[in-house]
Amino acid sequence: MTLRRGVGRLVALTCKRRLDRELEDEILAHLELAERDAVARGISPEEARRTARRSFGGIEQVKEEHRDDRSFRWIETLLRDFRHGLASVRRSPGFSAVVVGVLALGIGANVAMFSVVDAVLLKPLPFAEPDRMVGVWEAPRPGIVNATSAPDFLDWKRLATVFEALSAEQSISAALTGRGEPTRLSGKLVTADYFRVFATRTQLGRTFTPEEDRPGAAPVIVLSHAAWQNHFGGDADILQRRPVLDGEAHQVIGVLAPGAFDRDETRFWKPLIFTPDQRSLKVHWLTVYGRLRGGATLTQARERMQAIHAALTEDASSEDREAAIAIEPLARLLVGAGLQRSISVAFGAVAMVLLIACANVANLLLAKGATRRRELAVRAALGAGRCRLVGQLLTENLVLCLLGGMAGIAVADLLIRVAIPMLSESIPFTAAVTLDFRVLAFAGAIAVAVALLAGTLPAMQTAFGNLAESLNRSARGSSGAHSGMRRAIVIGEVALSLVLVSGALLLLRSLLKLQGLDTGVRVENVITMSVDLPIGAYRTPQQAALFYQAVAERLQTAPGIAQVGISTALPLQWIGNGEAMKVAGLEKLVRVRFKRVDPGYFRALGIPLLAGRGITSRDLHGAPRVVVINEALAARLADVAGLKDPVGKTVRVSCPGYVDRELFMPEVEIAGVIRNERVASPGYPDPPVVYVPLAQVPSPQVKLIVRTRAEAAAVMPAIREAVREIDSSLPLGDVATMEQVRERSLLGSSRPAWLIGTFAAIALLLTGIGLYGVVSHAVTQQRREIGIRMALGARASDVLSQVLWNALSMVAVGLAFGMLGAFGLTRVMKNLLFEISPLDPAALTVACVLMTLIGLLAGFLPAARAARVDPVTTLRDEG
Amino acid sequence: MSKQQTEVPYGTLDLLILKTLEAMGTMHGYAIARRIEQVWGAAMQLSQGSVYPALIRLQQEGWVRTDWGISETNRKVKFYSLTAAGRKQLRVEVANWEKATALVARFLEASS
Repeated sequence: MTLRRGVGRLVALTCKRRLDRELEDEILAHLELAERDAVARGISPEEARRTARRSFGGIEQVKEEHRDDRSFRWIETLLRDFRHGLASVRRSPGFSAVVVGVLALGIGANVAMFSVVDAVLLKPLPFAEPDRMVGVWEAPRPGIVNATSAPDFLDWKRLATVFEALSAEQSISAALTGRGEPTRLSGKLVTADYFRVFATRTQLGRTFTPEEDRPGAAPVIVLSHAAWQNHFGGDADILQRRPVLDGEAHQVIGVLAPGAFDRDETRFWKPLIFTPDQRSLKVHWLTVYGRLRGGATLTQARERMQAIHAALTEDASSEDREAAIAIEPLARLLVGAGLQRSISVAFGAVAMVLLIACANVANLLLAKGATRRRELAVRAALGAGRCRLVGQLLTENLVLCLLGGMAGIAVADLLIRVAIPMLSESIPFTAAVTLDFRVLAFAGAIAVAVALLAGTLPAMQTAFGNLAESLNRSARGSSGAHSGMRRAIVIGEVALSLVLVSGALLLLRSLLKLQGLDTGVRVENVITMSVDLPIGAYRTPQQAALFYQAVAERLQTAPGIAQVGISTALPLQWIGNGEAMKVAGLEKLVRVRFKRVDPGYFRALGIPLLAGRGITSRDLHGAPRVVVINEALAARLADVAGLKDPVGKTVRVSCPGYVDRELFMPEVEIAGVIRNERVASPGYPDPPVVYVPLAQVPSPQVKLIVRTRAEAAAVMPAIREAVREIDSSLPLGDVATMEQVRERSLLGSSRPAWLIGTFAAIALLLTGIGLYGVVSHAVTQQRREIGIRMALGARASDVLSQVLWNALSMVAVGLAFGMLGAFGLTRVMKNLLFEISPLDPAALTVACVLMTLIGLLAGFLPAARAARVDPVTTLRDEG
Repeated sequence: MSKQQTEVPYGTLDLLILKTLEAMGTMHGYAIARRIEQVWGAAMQLSQGSVYPALIRLQQEGWVRTDWGISETNRKVKFYSLTAAGRKQLRVEVANWEKATALVARFLEASS
């Protein structure tokens, strides 16, 4: 067939009626002409008409052949069935609305979840050749990764030919001033190769040149597209502007093209220029990413880096030689095992919801099919083939499923709009969750799959059943095999729901356990915020110490404030700074977390002292150095050094410098022991921590912790005012109450719990509808039988209990299968639970009780209807 | 159906219609059917109606054009005529046909 003909045939589909009429006219004209010619030959008019018809051939045959030839017959049939399907949707709006609603829920949840799976797990990272992007770390011991020191990074860069580009970075933040209220911008110090590793294009200007990270280079920055839009109003002349960051004017040399970095918190990039001290000091503070040379494999890169490491550490201490270099693909670093597991479990759960929705739809279609058997029997008797009937029923189901799919896309769109902003912290910035073409294709595919899955059985059942019989009998009695199948489907639904509900209850119990854990700190009426001092204005540690003291004193006198504390890290958010403690008589260093606090910190958070004293306002610069340790460190010291009573003992602790990261290891006296505060998310053990006076080892970045007398948020303006009085150019960032900090630390557990809980609720609802449908249908079918039994003396309560028993028997069988399913999923659940067995009897029992209640509820309405059956009317109606 | 009256070989009807239109110019469906019947005689059995499916096919291929006209019985009917593409197609089909018959003839001669 030529292309032209194909197009012609497609066009013919659209003007079917006109073409039929034209053919009809042509045939009539033809017969008239033939008749006239015959009459002219001297044949009688009657005979002439017969001759004309005979030589024309079969009129209907010609019409059929004409239709076959001029267009695609199967498309015409499909379109007709489709129109028929749409018409039947309109004919039974109630039934259609239920089916479409059920499908919209099932498909919508799946499409939304798929968009997350697609963005996070399936799509490649939004950078050029993302397979070549890796993170490079030092691994001091197997299984532990550490940040990189500047000398190591420079050695790698010099020696590792396996990388096309290698960059080091460190996150910073800076105060943007001179444009109204000072704002804090997150940024990164990066070496000049950074944008070669991430292969990012600019919309304006350029990225860094190799000269720009050398000492003495002028201060320049690159802005993200989002920063340019939000903080500079998309200023077209931005490359001529010199915004002031931390008191220093910076030349904007480029603005990135819109893309993945707009979802990241980084707003600007600035060249990382190593000071001479940094170049030589073995302090681990850099994050290193690299782009492999084309063709280099991960294994090659690992071998090469290992060889380089061996060569560099030939004459180093044994501890250094033990270390290795870890190289991981960027994609794996961005999507951790935990996230992958959560997403997979959620996707599995939502797929179960879809299965339940399918089962519901199949059930509804079976019930609908039962009422259409007479219509189909008539059509079969008139010569329609069984395949044709199945095809028609399937097409009708497809119409419903496509409508459900469209509604599902709308539901998914809503879900994405509502849920993604809440999830954005949990998913990597590289993942763009949108309803794009791939997601829409997925939606279409599952709509068709649902049509086949939920529609085939009912269509076969309806079209292949004994149709002749349904013509003979006046619909009475029950249809045995038919209702058996519907019961089986509902039992499956109950089983799947039980699995979901018990999973959700397990996660919920686990979450409650975590929430019930003591955080070791006071959470009520505490508000926190971060302060970053610009180094330009606070050049010496003493300046910073004076500032902190002034802020604490000023805030302490402000109305509504009970207690003020300052620290380098908040509880529950982990302490990023790790240092070493040297104990006399112990060769090995003790690894500790290092936290700097002011005298108010322990009081503000209500952390009790167990021995000795806390940190006081006399522990200043120049005073004897002291530290306070936590219980965990005291236990560790007792364990490894036999230090039973640490208070008053002297140890050495390595301390980072104020700005230049110059490490020193002064002698300090252990002044006291405090009870553990929760350092990491609940559920993780507390590490040994050493608390150092902020005044003795100041840091430019701190958190303010303010305990208020009343509602914390109400005091915020007073806090801002107090800080402004001392330094008007200093923005306050990351304002959060301690309650929010705790909530955030539980997100890893609470999000899966809420997600699966929502899915389980939908599953319960759908299963309830399914049960109700089947029981209600059975009651309708058995009205006559119930009527007879009541006429023979059965009481309403007997009928009621019989119908309820019918519902509960299905639930019971479903629960048994569901239990098997729950046992099967033990392994998957184990990793997501905290101190709860995946076979927790309480959770499983509650799940079973819940399902039984749903069964009772779904059975009660039809049962009550059955009990009200009036034997007289029933028997007269159908007699 | 008698043994002497053979059915129109598949695909031949298109060729016959094209040839007829080339020889006779514009004409309606009945005239085309009659013309083929007359030329063909009684040797072949042709239902007159079967020209219509063939005509829609040729029309979709772009080889035949239709115009509305008035029949001898004063009815509005379609008149068919050959397009330039149809003329070209006819030459191709005639050439193919001659090649095929020549081949068959040579084969029959050689085998006898």
